[in-house]
Amino acid sequence: MSPSRRHFLATSFGGLALSHLLAHADTAKPDPKLNGGLHHKAKAKRVVQIFLNGGMSQMDTFDYKPELIKQNGKVVDIGLKATATGTPGPAMKSPFAWKQHGQCGRWVTDVFPHLAGHVDDMAFLMALASKSSVHGPAAYLQTTGFITPGFPAAGAWVGYALGRLADDLPAFVVLPDPRGLPYNGNGNFSPGFLPAQHAGTVINPAAASPIPDLAPPKDAKFVTPTASDDGLDLLQKMNRKYAADRPGDSRMSARVESYELAAKMQLAAPEVFDLSKESKETHAAYGTDRKGADGGFARNCLLARRMLAKGVRFVQVWSGAGGPKDNWDNHGSIPKELPPIARQVDQPVAALLADLKRTGLADDTLVIFTTEFGRMPVTQNGDGRDHNGGTSVTWLAGAGVKGGTAHGESDDLSHLAATDKTDVYDLYATALHLLGIDHTKLTVLHNGIDRRLTDVHGHVVNAVLA
Amino acid sequence: MPVFGPRIRHIVAAVILFAATVTSAADKPNGDWAFRPIKPPAVPTAPEKHKTWVRNPVDAFVLEKLLANGLTPSAEADRRTLARRLSVDLIGLPPTPEELDAFLKDTSNDAYERLVDKLLASPRYGERWARHWLDVAHYADSHGQDQDRFRPNAWPYRDYVIKSFNDDKPYARFVKEQIAGDVLWPLDPAAVVATGFLAAGPWDESGLRDINENALDRQVARALDRDDIVTTVMTSFAGLTAHCARCHDHKFDPIPTADYYALQAVFAGIEKAEREYDTDPTVAKKRAALQAKLVAVRGGKGDLLTAERLAEVATFEKARGGAKDRWTVMKPDAVKSRDGATLTPQADQSVVSGGKAPDRDVYTVTLTSELIGVTGIRVEVLTDDSLPHKGPGRQDNGNLHLSEVRVTAAPKGKPEQTVSVKLKSAAADFNQDGWGIARAIDGDPKTAWGIYPQVGKPHWAAFAFDKPVGFDAGTTFTVALDQLHGERHLIGRFRISITTGDPLAAEATLPVSVAEAFAVPAEKRTEAQKVTLARWVWEQRLDRELKALPSPAKVYCGTNRFAPDGSFKPSATPRPIHILKRGDVTKPGKEAKPGAVEAVEALPGRFTLKDANNEGVRRAALADWLTDDANPLTWRVIVNRVWHYHFGRGIVDTPNDLGTMGGTPSHPQLLDWLADDFRTNGGSLKKLHRLFLTSSTYRQAVTHDPTAEAKDADNRLLWRMNRTRLDAETVRDTVLLAAGRLDDTMYGPPVKHFLTKPGIHVTPESDYDAFDVNAADARRRSIYRFVFRTKPDPFLAGLDCPDASASAPVRSVSVGAPQALAMWNNKFVLANAEHLAALAEKASKAEAERVRFAAKRVLLRLPTADEETAWTAYAKKHGLANLCRVLFNSSEFTFAD
Repeated sequence: MSPSRRHFLATSFGGLALSHLLAHADTAKPDPKLNGGLHHKAKAKRVVQIFLNGGMSQMDTFDYKPELIKQNGKVVDIGLKATATGTPGPAMKSPFAWKQHGQCGRWVTDVFPHLAGHVDDMAFLMALASKSSVHGPAAYLQTTGFITPGFPAAGAWVGYALGRLADDLPAFVVLPDPRGLPYNGNGNFSPGFLPAQHAGTVINPAAASPIPDLAPPKDAKFVTPTASDDGLDLLQKMNRKYAADRPGDSRMSARVESYELAAKMQLAAPEVFDLSKESKETHAAYGTDRKGADGGFARNCLLARRMLAKGVRFVQVWSGAGGPKDNWDNHGSIPKELPPIARQVDQPVAALLADLKRTGLADDTLVIFTTEFGRMPVTQNGDGRDHNGGTSVTWLAGAGVKGGTAHGESDDLSHLAATDKTDVYDLYATALHLLGIDHTKLTVLHNGIDRRLTDVHGHVVNAVLA
Repeated sequence: MPVFGPRIRHIVAAVILFAATVTSAADKPNGDWAFRPIKPPAVPTAPEKHKTWVRNPVDAFVLEKLLANGLTPSAEADRRTLARRLSVDLIGLPPTPEELDAFLKDTSNDAYERLVDKLLASPRYGERWARHWLDVAHYADSHGQDQDRFRPNAWPYRDYVIKSFNDDKPYARFVKEQIAGDVLWPLDPAAVVATGFLAAGPWDESGLRDINENALDRQVARALDRDDIVTTVMTSFAGLTAHCARCHDHKFDPIPTADYYALQAVFAGIEKAEREYDTDPTVAKKRAALQAKLVAVRGGKGDLLTAERLAEVATFEKARGGAKDRWTVMKPDAVKSRDGATLTPQADQSVVSGGKAPDRDVYTVTLTSELIGVTGIRVEVLTDDSLPHKGPGRQDNGNLHLSEVRVTAAPKGKPEQTVSVKLKSAAADFNQDGWGIARAIDGDPKTAWGIYPQVGKPHWAAFAFDKPVGFDAGTTFTVALDQLHGERHLIGRFRISITTGDPLAAEATLPVSVAEAFAVPAEKRTEAQKVTLARWVWEQRLDRELKALPSPAKVYCGTNRFAPDGSFKPSATPRPIHILKRGDVTKPGKEAKPGAVEAVEALPGRFTLKDANNEGVRRAALADWLTDDANPLTWRVIVNRVWHYHFGRGIVDTPNDLGTMGGTPSHPQLLDWLADDFRTNGGSLKKLHRLFLTSSTYRQAVTHDPTAEAKDADNRLLWRMNRTRLDAETVRDTVLLAAGRLDDTMYGPPVKHFLTKPGIHVTPESDYDAFDVNAADARRRSIYRFVFRTKPDPFLAGLDCPDASASAPVRSVSVGAPQALAMWNNKFVLANAEHLAALAEKASKAEAERVRFAAKRVLLRLPTADEETAWTAYAKKHGLANLCRVLFNSSEFTFAD
């Protein structure tokens, strides 16, 4: 196939028109043997990604390093005169208590008492490095596979590749921290050069209209429900005639369908957002009645499960807004700043894991728990830690994941990835693999380059696959 | 609704078979065709039968290809369709019903051509085509990234682009100005503003300003920032993906890594920053002359001791009235840190703070003076190599916070008689925003004086006592400097002086050498002292004259003329650029020399420069390279880009990439003919538009012909016209126009379509929902809206408006539920549906007449009889505003045939 042709299909008409085109071709019927996958049999159909904004400290949570405990307080040479925002201070052990958990004996500190109970379901990437130790580029890298702005988010790629599971909800939704958007704002959920419909739909559960423009604003009093219903009938009649007068242009019929889909979404969404349908026990398990952003995050996790169940492909739940505090960017003090933000996610994410299992969704849902980079084994001359692109910890759970495993190791101080280093490319190569997609074949030609979520890198991490 | 996805290559491949039939092997160019010289082909002669169809050379080339592939052109579109197509295409707005009627009634032979000319002469034309160019430049009014700060002075560049299109600026000049206008025409304000192009893209504030300047990530950030500039310049003007050669030689095009870093070297002397410029060329000239004089005086050039200057010194000295206002630098008796910093006195009486850096501290200094009538003290905070960013503070960013200054006085040797000294007022040479010097004497330990971002240079703060202090036998002062803000915002080096004059008089702050020279009687001054004084008064005078000029304007652009902001500083000479192995900043290879792409054989690939340390000549050389008649890329790229916007698809359908991975040209001969014609005829874009728009090719109807589709489904050969969806801004502007609300005020600062308040961090909070769509400034054309990179306008984004994070040479066109929801429910559409209804209601009392009125404004036609019945019934039942909502949502409104 000529590149120009691919480019044209990819960017000029957009995915919807293209999927139409394919739907009318005989060969376009999905192969049932692939279980929804594109290139091979899929084990996962949906993804929920928990993103810890600011850079989770790996050596205070999951990366147990006896050597760091030994070196505590000593000046160690980590080969750097400067860290991202400061100058290296002495080595600092974690101020939190370590304990081994589960059959697998995974070390976890006591900042994650609930998550520690699920380690046998998790597969850890213990040495995931970043190309950047700066929030903006590192967050782009982790969400889009590129260090600079302008590339499609992972959720946009997945929606583009696999389409929707349900036709009354968007494929890719984003639940920001109740306190605000992460670093890079909407850039982290951007469709990049993919058509706009693949953008992450940012949900604001507290707003009158949690999905943008789901309903007319209250002050547009002339819009009554019957005026809308009759108006939609009138519009569709008009648009169908316009489409019929212009045969051969699939955008016209796509437009008619887009209004049908919008109407379905208007009906389906309020039901999804209504958390009162959940039992008291479920609410208690997630901790939805906790105060402030803790409760908000818990409700977001519960909402994530409801959306996954209704057919959303990719849900991204953020912990921590962009900014100097109330997130994972603990420069000031690990003992003071890490416990409250860890508490925000601990119980709700543990509850989500349990809930996915209880509802059977875990069978085809991939869970990703990740952050933009790790932190330094040394202080910034206080008891906080600076950014560290050298290594970090991510874990996976759910469909196709081999629980209780770990892949990769950082060095003795948890400063740099040492063995079986992974990158975000490997993470997404693996995620796409579970979704039945060969990451090297999911490409769009843009400005002269066949772009992929995994750039020109990435290997499926077989060690963490069941 | 298919719920499975589209990306299955082998299936797509099956659909592709048509492509092979439309380009014959004979004219299929090789991958590197774009690098070869432009050879204008002869215009084909049309067969007799089709002669009347051929209006200009565009048609001749298009027809030749159609006939060769067994196709024929479609009939001309009807005049109503043509008028709408043309108007949307050229000015981004449809004609009003009145303008349409006038055109339809005009039966003269050249009515169409005159409409083209009228639209090209409209100021709306520049607004429409500037939008296209800003897509390519990825212009926005904020930095993007994690610290998405607003750029309050980006918009002059946007206005420059609008004006350039309206003035039909020759394309070569347009290119040169945007790359090196400040170098080539330094006194022309437009040429300076043009370099906003280089800075239009995102800027990583944390990586380039805030992180530790010694951190590796700073080098990475710099490399990426230059990459954005190189990418933008080369894709926009040359259609080359040179950036693909950052990590390895280009895999498909003849662009080695060395070329890429040669291009980085061209931009190694500039940053994206705000510079000053004069909007009036005469002022610019005056300022340049004064600045040149100032440089000469400072550099000690020429005779400083002219009669005029000596007289100036005498005048100053007379006005000064003696030496009583001088500061006396004090040697501390003792210094003490409350929380354990090590305070070390220096030879110049200053004190350096080192060792442990406590979060907070109080420095206490005692000093003894014999002076009577001490009126105030001065605290100088000084730079030191031991401090971060050279200080003067100890915080990682070089800042400090002085919370309170407390002074006591006691007769020498009698500490039991200590009295406190009240500080009544204060002044400082610089105050951090929100951290003014008054905060150091307000008695509130939570507020403080700060100097950020002016770190790396000395500052001073002076404090006036409420009454003079001094004991006959000498006075011991104790000065406590409270630094209670936390996070090590400590003073890194300081020095204390006292005075008996007016402590806050500007003159009290003479440089030490000048004060010393004045202290010597005029006749006893050494030659060096005379020169010091002459230079100083002359500097003061030039400075006054400079300050008397009208304040300069500011523009965000690519420049090295900007005020340092913390560790983000202009570089006096270009930074050395090394060829990086695999693009890795830790693996520098040999140094790159400024240049361009060697594969363009007609031109030298590396520049011979007289003064390579002058960064400006590097950019000027690239501007010349790009606009040379012998550069085949530039001319092909621009004619193709313009073609893309008119016909919906370029002759090469990847307008930013004419390389191997770009599209194959559908009409290579036509492309070369156009490029040559454009190049040799002055680079007039308006002539180019006219050529395209008056062609028969452009005037074809959007027909449906299964036989032709079987041969050329994509319409690559233009056997019909392409149907386009109105882009995001056109939809918004057209809704405003239809509702009678469009405000055509041009230029100026951008309008925010959101309410804003300070965010948690740098990026402000934005609320698009809270913005009043009926507000006066909500009616401007979309080109004047504030483009907030990481918080894009959700309504426009839903209509595929790019977010300016990367160049968008082709906009995607999506159709989906979010877009339907936005058009159906967004308050902007609903509010304007009401405005349109109100207009219609004013125009007539009869419901059917009102319906016709609304239809003419939205669809530019009257309803059919059936439509009129249905629409009137609906309007009667639900009100006219609801019908207007329906019309705005129609495919007929959203697309143009």
